[in-house]
Amino acid sequence: MIKLMKYEFRKNLFSKIILLILTAVGEAAYLAGVFLKWEDGFGIGMIVLSLCSIFGIMYMGMEGLITFHRDLNTKQSYMLFLTPHSSYQILGAKVVENGLTIFLTGIFYALLGLLDFTVAVLYIGGVEQLLSIIKDIGAEFSINMNVRFEEILLVILALLAGWIMTLAMGYLAIVLCATVLAGKRLSGLISFVIFLVLNWCVNLAFNHLPILDVDSLLIRNWATIGCAFAVSLVLYLITGWIMERKLSV
Amino acid sequence: MLECKEVTKKYGRKTAVDHVSLNLEPGRVYAMLGPNGSGKTTLMKMVVGLVKPTSGEILYNGQPVGVESRRDIAYMSTEPYFYSWMTVKDVGKYYQDFFEDFSMERYERILNQMDLTMDLKSKTLSSGMMAKLKIAVTMARRAKIYLLDEPLNGIDLLARDEIVRCVLDVIAPDVTLMVSSHLVDELEKVADVAVFMKESHLVMACGIEQMREEKGKSVVDMYREIYGHGGIEQ
Repeated sequence: MIKLMKYEFRKNLFSKIILLILTAVGEAAYLAGVFLKWEDGFGIGMIVLSLCSIFGIMYMGMEGLITFHRDLNTKQSYMLFLTPHSSYQILGAKVVENGLTIFLTGIFYALLGLLDFTVAVLYIGGVEQLLSIIKDIGAEFSINMNVRFEEILLVILALLAGWIMTLAMGYLAIVLCATVLAGKRLSGLISFVIFLVLNWCVNLAFNHLPILDVDSLLIRNWATIGCAFAVSLVLYLITGWIMERKLSV
Repeated sequence: MLECKEVTKKYGRKTAVDHVSLNLEPGRVYAMLGPNGSGKTTLMKMVVGLVKPTSGEILYNGQPVGVESRRDIAYMSTEPYFYSWMTVKDVGKYYQDFFEDFSMERYERILNQMDLTMDLKSKTLSSGMMAKLKIAVTMARRAKIYLLDEPLNGIDLLARDEIVRCVLDVIAPDVTLMVSSHLVDELEKVADVAVFMKESHLVMACGIEQMREEKGKSVVDMYREIYGHGGIEQ
């Protein structure tokens, strides 16, 4: 399965490189802002890095779905389905690689943010002064900066888990389109509607789960992460089961 | 070794393969014959597990085909299927990563015979070069069963001889080779058994020597009889 994951990683290497280049540009602007006391550069760098992290993570997930769709609907599918691997392994490699990419990208940007923060503290001359600059920039864009770092991290993790769950629904919708709905009129539209309905149902269930309605931010977020992973696992098993029995490429 | 039992594949209302039963024995070369749309490709894809039968079953050494059988069955599709970012070398590495019976040394040797170099990008290959690459990477495996779907499509006369030599090189007592082609006379020279498909049915699977002796007909004669005007009805 590691070898399958290696090729999954390779398939989307180009967009990863583009994201890294954009991040490097943002980082350069940010560091120039810090070292040269160039406030515009500092602000531009922060915005570029924030956009790269948010949209980069979202795009990585979307691209995983696009690749999966292409792998099921073009002759390239033979490259996967001729190998001695079950549908569970093939799908698993995709989900794990995609999930890992999203998590590692998230961790990469969190660490980069921490590093940039430290560098800024060292060069600007103190946490208070740096926070005040960040708050000034935040105020310009009407962003509330009065939140704790651990809380931000936990919310980010919960968002990532939720995003992976949404992608798992996307994988199921794509497989439904290629199997039970294959050859039927409007199969793409029907599977997209199934995806939306599934999303709505899971969100509805999440809204009514008592564990996700507690006051403690810590418990609520960890419970969200746990539930999101449990749902993702169930979706993965259903998708693999359908592929194993019904998928013809 | 490989057994198809009443295999049927339907795509909506269209039946691509209809109740086909066929046994493939080791040490034999099978010529899969029939016009376009007769079900040859679908049957091959079902054998290798790319397409799931609607009904019936396909057994390899007594077990339903699947992950294990794919270790022993090498399939060459008629369409190009390599990832566009791959070079000829990447294609070899990919097969080496996934198939224990793949030999990089043999792959390089076949590529040399076919005048292909490792640095060529798969997306820039002409149809003839792509056909050669597909053959090279498939025949570089030491599989138990080879299924070659139209291996001579888009190949010029000189390269065709090279490919036929390369394909025949794998023949062994424990190896089964099935080749589909429209070049009936070419196949007749090398095959032991002719399998005739027509309108999704198996019309006949017959030893070529037996056909000559008992019916006094060549494969080409039989092909004309089955598919020509007023041929055998299904």
